[in-house]
Amino acid sequence: MQVIEEHKGMLFRVCRIYQDDNADRDDLMQEIILQLWLVFESFKGNSKIGTWIYRVALNTAITYFKKQKRRNDTELLTEMAYNLPDHSLHAEKEEQLALFYAALKHLNKIEKALIFLYMESQPYNEIALNLGISEVNVRVRLTRIKNKLKEIIKNISYEHR
Amino acid sequence: MNIDDLKDTWKNDDTSFKYSPLDAALQRKTSSAISKVRNNMKTEFITTLFSYVILFWFLFSKPKAMLFLNVTCITLCALVILNCFYFFKFYMFYRGANKYDQSVKEGIGKIVYELELNTELYKTYNVCITPLTIIVALGIIWDGQATGYIYKLLTNSISAINMSMIILVMLISFIASYFFIGLHVKRSYQKHLDELKSVLKQITGN
Repeated sequence: MQVIEEHKGMLFRVCRIYQDDNADRDDLMQEIILQLWLVFESFKGNSKIGTWIYRVALNTAITYFKKQKRRNDTELLTEMAYNLPDHSLHAEKEEQLALFYAALKHLNKIEKALIFLYMESQPYNEIALNLGISEVNVRVRLTRIKNKLKEIIKNISYEHR
Repeated sequence: MNIDDLKDTWKNDDTSFKYSPLDAALQRKTSSAISKVRNNMKTEFITTLFSYVILFWFLFSKPKAMLFLNVTCITLCALVILNCFYFFKFYMFYRGANKYDQSVKEGIGKIVYELELNTELYKTYNVCITPLTIIVALGIIWDGQATGYIYKLLTNSISAINMSMIILVMLISFIASYFFIGLHVKRSYQKHLDELKSVLKQITGN
């Protein structure tokens, strides 16, 4: 539990990028904690505990399938409206982050994993190891994803004007 | 917007977050593809054991003709051996399917491979077992008629029409089993498998 406590911020961010509404995020978080618990004995200390947690969290988030939809779209929209940043209270950075999260929803599961590890300031070689692809591939894909995100953010900002 | 400038805000984005303790997580049903398959396997194993108890109870609850009893026992024995073989294979998969600590490519690749292999194994298992089980179960329920039929079948020569009928019934039951099992597999496993395959495609870039 101490390990989870130390990495809870990272786990929360994984859940936030892979699931759209709060209930699904909670479910995914429980799933990740469960998987960490189940595979903890397989951790042999060959890598840093943080790297190991990244792997378990990402693998779980990618292979996780939502339970049947419990709420209708109207409820979801209401919840999203409540979660929108309050312009009077939040700083510009927070607004940008909310926009960034909204743009992340348009990426596929692997693109999300790449940008997540990048935002966590993981070095390119670590990202490559965690995903199982080459370092060159990581660099190329990240450049493409960043461009794609900029484009999406531009479109979202334009739509909300 | 510069994405790199957001890194600090990103890392502090967990202030209001609370999570439930471990025991709450342990009480929940998991929703990963592998966990779903594992749960289905567990349910199927329990159902099979339960169905054997019912079959044996029907078989030995009242006296039966010796010929019928012998034929049914031989068929049941074959069914038990087949079941043991397949459930042993399923158990090996069940034990080995926890690869969440590998790299994403390795982990997903392994899950897709195991899931595909297991799905095919499951189809074969059901095509072998289901028609035989239904025949045995029907035989046990209507043992009076079944005994007479088996006796006639073993002692008299079978006409071409009768033989054709037997082959046709067997063929239909195998085709029906194959169709319904295919449908069940598609509904229970295929969507997860397809999604994981698309993820694997995304990561390999093909």
